[in-house]
Amino acid sequence: MTNGWIDIKNTDMMLIMGGNPAENHPCGFKWAIEAKRTRNAKLISVDPRFTRTSSVADHFCQIRAGTDIAFLGGVINYAIENNRYAKDYIINYTNAAFVVDGGFKLPSDTDGVFSGFDAEKQSYNRASWNYAGGKSAPSAGQNGAPPPLPPLPEKVDFDPSLQNPNCVFQLLKKHYSRYTPEMVERVTGIPKEQFVKAADLYTSIRKDGDMKKAGTIIYAVGWTQHSFGTQIIRTAAMLQLLLGNVGRAGGGVNALRGHSNIQGATDMAGLYDSLPGYLKVPTPADASFEAWMKRITPTSSKPAQWESFNYWSNTPKFMVSLMKMMYGDGATKQNEWAFDYLPKVDRDYSWVNLWNNMYNGVVKGLLTFGMNGVAIGPDSKKNIDALKKTEFLVVGEIYADETSEFWKSPGVTQDEMKQIQTTVYRLPCAGFAEKDGSFTNSARWLVWKNTAVPTPGDARLDQAILAQIFLRVRELYKKDGGKFPDPILKLSWSYTDPMNPSLAEVLKELNGKALADLEDPATKVQIKKGQQVPGFGWLKDDGTTACGNWLYSGSYTEAGNQTARRDPSDPSDMGVHAGWGWSWPANRRVLYNRASCDVDGKPWDASRKQVWWNEGLEKWVGNDVPDFKADSKPKDHMGPFIMNPEGVGRIFAPLAAFADGPFPEYYEPFESPIQNPFHPEQSTNPVVKAFKTADDKLGTSKDGFNVVCTTFRLTEHYHYWTKNNPMNVQLVPEPFIEMAAEMADEMGIRGGERVKVSSARGEYVAKAMVTKRIKPMMIDGKKTYQIGIPFHWGYRGIAEDEGKTSRMLTNALTSTIIDPNAHTPEFKGFLVKVEKV
Amino acid sequence: MSPSDQILPHGRILRYAFHERLTHWIAAGSYIYLLLTGLAFWSPWCIWLAVILGGGQVSRMLHPWAGLIFTGAVLKMYSMWSTQMRSTEADKKWWDSIGYYIRNEDDKMPAAGRYNAGQKLLFWGFITCGVLLLLSGVILWFPEYVPWNLRFLRYLAVLIHPAAALLTIGLFLIHIYMSVFAERGAFGSIIRGDVSLTFAKRYHPRWYEEITGQATSPKK
Amino acid sequence: MSQATLRVQKISGHAGPVAGEDAQREFTVCKLIDTTTCIGCKACEVACMEWNDLPFGETVFDNTYQTMPETRWNYWNLILFNEHEKEDGSLMWLMRKNQCMHCAEPGCLAACPADGAIVQYANGIVDFQQANCIGCGYCITGCPFDIPKMNPKTNRVFKCTLCSDRVSEGLEPACIKSCPTGCLHFGSKDDMKDLAEKRARQLREHYDFPQAGVYDPAGVGGTGVVYVLHDATKPELYGGLPADPHVPWSVKLWKGPLKWLGNVAMVGGLIGLFVHYLRFGPKDRDDENINTEGGKS
Repeated sequence: MTNGWIDIKNTDMMLIMGGNPAENHPCGFKWAIEAKRTRNAKLISVDPRFTRTSSVADHFCQIRAGTDIAFLGGVINYAIENNRYAKDYIINYTNAAFVVDGGFKLPSDTDGVFSGFDAEKQSYNRASWNYAGGKSAPSAGQNGAPPPLPPLPEKVDFDPSLQNPNCVFQLLKKHYSRYTPEMVERVTGIPKEQFVKAADLYTSIRKDGDMKKAGTIIYAVGWTQHSFGTQIIRTAAMLQLLLGNVGRAGGGVNALRGHSNIQGATDMAGLYDSLPGYLKVPTPADASFEAWMKRITPTSSKPAQWESFNYWSNTPKFMVSLMKMMYGDGATKQNEWAFDYLPKVDRDYSWVNLWNNMYNGVVKGLLTFGMNGVAIGPDSKKNIDALKKTEFLVVGEIYADETSEFWKSPGVTQDEMKQIQTTVYRLPCAGFAEKDGSFTNSARWLVWKNTAVPTPGDARLDQAILAQIFLRVRELYKKDGGKFPDPILKLSWSYTDPMNPSLAEVLKELNGKALADLEDPATKVQIKKGQQVPGFGWLKDDGTTACGNWLYSGSYTEAGNQTARRDPSDPSDMGVHAGWGWSWPANRRVLYNRASCDVDGKPWDASRKQVWWNEGLEKWVGNDVPDFKADSKPKDHMGPFIMNPEGVGRIFAPLAAFADGPFPEYYEPFESPIQNPFHPEQSTNPVVKAFKTADDKLGTSKDGFNVVCTTFRLTEHYHYWTKNNPMNVQLVPEPFIEMAAEMADEMGIRGGERVKVSSARGEYVAKAMVTKRIKPMMIDGKKTYQIGIPFHWGYRGIAEDEGKTSRMLTNALTSTIIDPNAHTPEFKGFLVKVEKV
Repeated sequence: MSPSDQILPHGRILRYAFHERLTHWIAAGSYIYLLLTGLAFWSPWCIWLAVILGGGQVSRMLHPWAGLIFTGAVLKMYSMWSTQMRSTEADKKWWDSIGYYIRNEDDKMPAAGRYNAGQKLLFWGFITCGVLLLLSGVILWFPEYVPWNLRFLRYLAVLIHPAAALLTIGLFLIHIYMSVFAERGAFGSIIRGDVSLTFAKRYHPRWYEEITGQATSPKK
Repeated sequence: MSQATLRVQKISGHAGPVAGEDAQREFTVCKLIDTTTCIGCKACEVACMEWNDLPFGETVFDNTYQTMPETRWNYWNLILFNEHEKEDGSLMWLMRKNQCMHCAEPGCLAACPADGAIVQYANGIVDFQQANCIGCGYCITGCPFDIPKMNPKTNRVFKCTLCSDRVSEGLEPACIKSCPTGCLHFGSKDDMKDLAEKRARQLREHYDFPQAGVYDPAGVGGTGVVYVLHDATKPELYGGLPADPHVPWSVKLWKGPLKWLGNVAMVGGLIGLFVHYLRFGPKDRDDENINTEGGKS
């Protein structure tokens, strides 16, 4: 979230799409209700089904799963057409006025793709996705590798009148002028009047140029899990920039995380292509530490008369400190901070690719903790088939789950079971209440929790298990040597109990410490060698600091564990609660909050003051921590989006930012009942490559797969976990399939009767929930039904073991198509057929 | 049983055969239990009755079962006596002369058969109330199984059950009074089965005629 | 709040005066349920089960998100889910937390014959005392909201206690404590009525609910649970919330006039027969031999 849970109470308008927070985040959703109760805020719910969230919405639109870009593009078009955008904001705080390279072409001009598309390689040459301006010469490719992209121009051409036909604003206007209400209706199935009502309501906050009000966009994996998921979120971000909602209390683009610590997992390099703190991993092309730093450290790119903080210019400081934390004395300037110890990522190691490699016999074994791989991945059959081919599987779990018993999945015969040679180790682990540590919530708040109950029986803490595996591997390397023992042998492992590292010690490492006496040249504040650093501003690229994650620097200082703070006070009543837990970066609650003020540094809304320029002190001060260079005078015109080299928000995302376009374009899901009405010849995302194993099949309407299906979660259950808990099972005892009453009538199905849903990949049998909450839709003139399936069941659990379910997995239906940017599978929006059992 | 079988030695007449007496006492026993426990549920001032009979819970548990026994006995009575209990022309005259009956001037009453009109009323009263009590009682027994949209049945039941019970209490009191206090010999008849010729002649002259074939003394 | 608030003011099936009858009510407690902000998360259902240590029961899928068709003896707090299509074709998914309403004039208590099985405390909570319950089920009939439920094994009736144990210790009921959206509030009846009216006004003035209002039915003397409804003119939409609930007339008739009539008739009958005997004596008094003759046989 750019903002935070509690901040939602400051909003005037909520657009909730691709998420169902009332269902999946009931505790956080209290703030949406609070906004309604205290500010008369309005809530718009756009969802394939009328959900618990919709039940408290002021306006609901039933959207065809996966057509969100069409909807949001339509809202952008509506805002521009009706002059409901934040003009000052976009000129000064976004790249709306930046002029784009003349070679750049929109999909409306180039058959549904952007300029630079290579149909054979299914990828873009993104050189033309750049700003016009003074450029440095493009460097030639080395060793036959393709030439790297040109850098951003140092000085960007710009037109504050927004009239230049090649400025970002005009391109945006042109691009989304095709997203008319009629087109939105054809694609999404939302009747025109209902769409216009939603667009009018949401953009009403900028009626008559008023900048006081703020609107928030709230989403979850209903946006992420598509073959264009990243671009849906991009569209939302662009809409928010256009309306001047980013950086504002009650505004922002707010991702709701599906687990208590998903944010923490991502911050701590849960993705294969990042290191902790979103530092980019080295690739084989990075010949040296210096070359790698040069590649991943941006240089500022802005109109000549503006300033840009370009905070990522500090990348080498963060990176050297990370290497010092990992290797201690083993990382020196001489050995390039142990650059050689880091694995060089040569290809896509994302989840679906990993399982594909397992399926193809490349990956021989798997250690899984805190997840149920077979159930959570797309195309369950492929995942089970992949595990059958592994030599070993280690599962750390608190229940007997589908993954650790993959060989017992329905359909595996006795004979086949005998053929499976995988050795499975199931290690009893600790549940969440049995361990301490911090959760990083959706609002980026790290909140420490204490152990509530001891682990039962032989169960161990995850970190104890991992530590022991590491120590034994190190022992083997010590004893037997090996090809390259240094990365293992020199890894710093200085925990009080090496066999069971305390998580507080780990958090201290993440925060970082001084490796020499340090002094801040500006304030003359000193810290001693060995002391915890107060924040990432202290990190150095000369090896005198160590820090495990620069974003978490400040979480465990000399003042103690900041994440364990429990001061509920909130003097500004803006939901800041600065003394409760600790949020990255630097305990800021709302990112980019400089943008909550006008160019002169005065809050857009005096009743919701976040930060402001104090002329007397010549400093930015506020109720929140200013997300800005504290002494940058407004007249210097430094951009508020300090993490971008431009200093401003990106309505146009240049160069390598995205694989599939600098503006989001609407593409159909890979399985779709129609051809893309915008460009039928380029229906789906052009850069997405499908896997080609025997288990990777796609269905079409022609084969009878003509019902749009999406999956979802229930309040009453938590993933594949609570099916083992009698209380949750009592609340919702069995799996079901939600379908429209009209569809059920047509098929002669009554509520509670069993139906079979099948996709090209698998099938799922459960009882029908016949409801008015899903309606038939007209999609491009074609009557189309949509169904939804909650996915909490499998083949182990209370109801499963009692034989009350079909023991099937919902993800048997889903496909391995993934988003080209985030590598997230297309779980939401695929085709099925439905039959009565 | 032919009339002659009912003439016993020593000037006695068999009024109630064994199975009739047994049925009566099953009904009587269960009724008294129902009455006492029912009164306990009827009013807080009578709850002590339930306490004596084993407590409120036991009383509530056994009351419906006793009710089933009572209903069974009443049904048996119906099958035994309903033909004899048909109302006749004489009964109308009997009711017209009820004042004499109350004043114990029985000789001024029209001749009654085996049962006089009052007894017939008692019989039909108990039959009717028994059915009502059974139906309402079943609902009260299992109120939670009466669907919410048929809840008017519950509401009817709580009214009908005590109302019908009150009617039976009225009949019951008169019955006890008549059989134990007013007509000496009646109580013995429901225990031992027989009555004296005098008793039969006095209270049930036409029945006496049927049994003995002799006319009773002509009316004054 | 102190234990004093649990002083008993009304007792079911009780002969004679009630100890707390003249207790000065400090205030009546009240639960406010704002159905317009309920998201049906069932936290209250779980909290109720856990605080009251209620045993699990089996449930079956029934084409709804509702946990079970109605409350059970071991499930006192149930959110009712109802889909309602408005005249303009738009949908409402109404969720209402259903539980004992803690009526000021409780039908259950009026109908109950068992001494002390149902009590009403000075703070307004209507509580069942299972030790005194005889299992007659009259409370089931007396309740206009279909709340008391029989445990068929123990033959005792159970329902929401408004967490009288928590309330007497100054805590709010478990359901209130657990509600994530703040759709549940707890306090004095006056405060809750104020809050409810305020919210209803907000819904009428700032949202598209011109008929929004507060449900506090007068037919049962007002309730210890009040609802804010999107449309107060149609409470039936919320899983059959009665528009004008009252203690069933038959229960009133039975516990009122019929009782007096019956008592008078019974006592009068006894006296009448006794007087008759005094006046007229047995029918055979002119024939002393009649019985002896019979006895000789």
